[in-house]
Amino acid sequence: MLLLTTLVEDSLDEGYARAAARRAAGEAPQRYGPVLLVAGLAAVGLLLATAAAQTRERSSATAEARDALTAEIEDRTTVNDRLERQLDRQRARVAQARTEGLRITAEGARLSTRLTTLEAATGAAPVGGPGFVIRLIDAPVDEEGADVDPRTDSAADEGRVSDRDLQTVVNEVWAAGAEAVAVNGQRLTALSAIRSAGEAVLVDFRPISPPYEVSAIGPADMRATFVDGFGGSYLQVLRDYGIEYSVEDDDDLQLGASAGVTLRYAVSPADVASGTTGGRRPDGERTEEANP
Amino acid sequence: MIAALGLVLGVVAGLFLEPTVPTWLQPYLPIAVVAALDAVFGGLRALLDGIFDDRVFVVSFVANVVVAALIVYLGDQLGVGSQLSTGVVVVLGIRIFSNAAAIRRHLFRA
Repeated sequence: MLLLTTLVEDSLDEGYARAAARRAAGEAPQRYGPVLLVAGLAAVGLLLATAAAQTRERSSATAEARDALTAEIEDRTTVNDRLERQLDRQRARVAQARTEGLRITAEGARLSTRLTTLEAATGAAPVGGPGFVIRLIDAPVDEEGADVDPRTDSAADEGRVSDRDLQTVVNEVWAAGAEAVAVNGQRLTALSAIRSAGEAVLVDFRPISPPYEVSAIGPADMRATFVDGFGGSYLQVLRDYGIEYSVEDDDDLQLGASAGVTLRYAVSPADVASGTTGGRRPDGERTEEANP
Repeated sequence: MIAALGLVLGVVAGLFLEPTVPTWLQPYLPIAVVAALDAVFGGLRALLDGIFDDRVFVVSFVANVVVAALIVYLGDQLGVGSQLSTGVVVVLGIRIFSNAAAIRRHLFRA
C-alpha cells in the first residue's frame, strides 16, 4: 500500500523541487538550458515519430508478406494446372499408342478392351455418362462473424461444410451405386482421401473451395436410392445447420481422370489376366464407356 | 514556444528521416515511448507548478527511457520480460495519470 501511495502522491520528479530550491538559494541558472530543452524535446518527438513509423511499417510489412505469399501460391497453382493439362495430353497419347500397339493381335485387342474398362472403373481414365450432381453451399456467415478467428470460435464452424460431411456424402453416393465420382472436378479413386487442413477441404491433398460439387455417374435409380437412404437424411441434417444443398440430374456428366493412380506397395500378380482392379469395386467392369 | 519547436522538429525528423531501428532494439521501443511520455507529463506539470528546470527534464527523460528499457532487457534475459514490462507500464502509467490529474487541476481548477 505504501508503495502505491508513494507512487500516486510523489508522481512529480523530486529533481524539479530541488532545482527550484537551488534557484531560490541564488544559484546561477543553467547556461545551456534552452538548447538542452530543445534537444531533449526533439529526442522525445523523434522517439514518438519513430515508434509510430515502426508500428505502421510493421503492419504494412505483414500485409506485403501475405500478398507476396498469395501471389506465389497463385503462380504455382497456375504452373501446376498447366503441368496437369500437359500430363493429361501425354497420357492420352500413351493410351492411344498402347491401343494401337495392342490392336495388332487378337489377344492384344482383348487386353486393350479390358484395359479400357478397368481404367474407367478405377478412375485412371476420363468417363462420361448419366448421373447427378450434389451441390453443397456453406451457410452464409453473418458480418460480425466474418472476422472471428475460426480456431477459437466454434460457432462459426457450424455452417461450414467439413471434410467429414463430404466423406459421408461421397460414401453414400458410392453405396447408392455410383460407378464414378468426382468432387469439384477431382475424380475419386479407391485410394482417394478427403481430408481437411485448417479451413480448407483437401481431396487427394489438393485444396478445393466451396461450393462443393459431388458429381456421380451411375444407374438411373441411383438418385432415388441416395435421396431415400442415409445420404438424403444426412443432407437434411446439414440443412439444419444452414448448409444449402441441391441435387440435380445430368444426362451427360463428364468426369476427368484422377491426377495420379499409383500403387506404392501393392503389386499385381505376374498373371496379368488375373486383374489389377483397385479392389473397391471389383464388379465395376460394366462401365459407362463400355455401353454407350 | 521554443520547447514546442523542439518537439515539432523531432517529430518531423522522425517522420522524414524514418530512422531504422535495429532489430534488437525494437522490443524496447514501446516501453521507451511510455517512459518518454512519463517524463513529458512530469515536465509539463513542473512547468505549471512553476518549478520547471531544463536540465532535470532532459536528465529525467533520458534516465527514464534507459532504465525502463534496461529493466525490460533484464527481464527478457531472465525469462520474465513480459511481466517486467507490465510492471514498468503499470508504474509509469500510474505516474502519468497522477501527473495528468495535477495538470488538469492547474488548467481547469477542478
